[in-house]
Amino acid sequence: MSIINYASREIQFKIVYYGPALCGKTTNLGYIHKRINPENRGDLVSLATASDRTLFFDFLPLNAVVIKGFVTKFQLYTVPGQVIYNATRQLVLRSVDGVIFVADSQWEKMEENVESFKNLEDNLAKQNISIDEIPSVLQYNKRDLENIAPVNYLEYVLNNRKKRVQSFEVVSSTGQNVFASLNAVSQILLHKFSKQSDVAKTAPAPVAIPFEPRVARV
Amino acid sequence: MNAIPCLTIQDVANLDGVLGDFLKKAEAELTVVIDRGGNVISQFGDMTVMDVTIIAALAAGSFAATKELARRIGEIEFNALYHQGNGNHIFMNSVDDDTIMITVFGRQTTVGLVRFYSASAAQSVGALLKSLQTNGHGFSFDASDITAAPIFADR
Repeated sequence: MSIINYASREIQFKIVYYGPALCGKTTNLGYIHKRINPENRGDLVSLATASDRTLFFDFLPLNAVVIKGFVTKFQLYTVPGQVIYNATRQLVLRSVDGVIFVADSQWEKMEENVESFKNLEDNLAKQNISIDEIPSVLQYNKRDLENIAPVNYLEYVLNNRKKRVQSFEVVSSTGQNVFASLNAVSQILLHKFSKQSDVAKTAPAPVAIPFEPRVARV
Repeated sequence: MNAIPCLTIQDVANLDGVLGDFLKKAEAELTVVIDRGGNVISQFGDMTVMDVTIIAALAAGSFAATKELARRIGEIEFNALYHQGNGNHIFMNSVDDDTIMITVFGRQTTVGLVRFYSASAAQSVGALLKSLQTNGHGFSFDASDITAAPIFADR
């Protein structure tokens, strides 16, 4: 849930990286933390096990000025990918504004990708959010490996709904398209937000606006 | 997605009034009101020593994580949590179904005092948030106000 604070002239958004275990969600945040201007970010907080598997979540706060006169704060979270931590994923998804689904492109991970995506849909539904309604993009990660499925197959498996979303071929370890996908979901989110503020301006009572994501490929 | 909650300058001043009064009475250092998703709604006190955004994210997680523990003993949730350190401590209490209040305090006060005054402060904060307007307050921005350049740049 975004919040507008007129006193500090701030708007906050929450973006969650979702996907199966070991698909590269934490690597995404690590790369962003390493490469973004330090003035625009806080500390990267990682609640992980001794073997570096995410136990609770990773968290990275970012600042930007993207709407005139307002500082926009983006809070990036990852969820733990392991199946047993579903309760934790539901907690992290609370008040989410945008989602980046990170799929592992390796053939042997396809079942886990589909399971995780279904799990995302179910967990969003528990908050009365439809996967077609929330700003989201898809990352096909680990494109540098050899045993990977072609993009059109991944599209068929994960992006085959009535409303298709933007998808990116990503190598999170080297940063390929990491920022592109973050920027894409942030823009979609802001445009949805602007539609809501337009409605707030003109209508006597706020209403929800159905979202039409752009269908585009990178 | 529901309408976006807006805090006007007056809303923030009202919240600051309640939180400032609470800090003074409880002799605590910092208090932060957050939603259960980890977003900061309001804050008051000495914010120079810590990153409030991170405190909020972790506190929301900590509060939520104990919910299941509470269920095991027949409670819906714990409505207050206390983390005791050697010199600095954190007290968290539930304001309503969507909001939590976090208080950071040191040796100059006691958890009892903080707990006592936080109850009425939480009630006042809850009442203020309930009256929060969600109609935008004339907040006007459209797609042309959003920067066209990439929001985040890879150095």
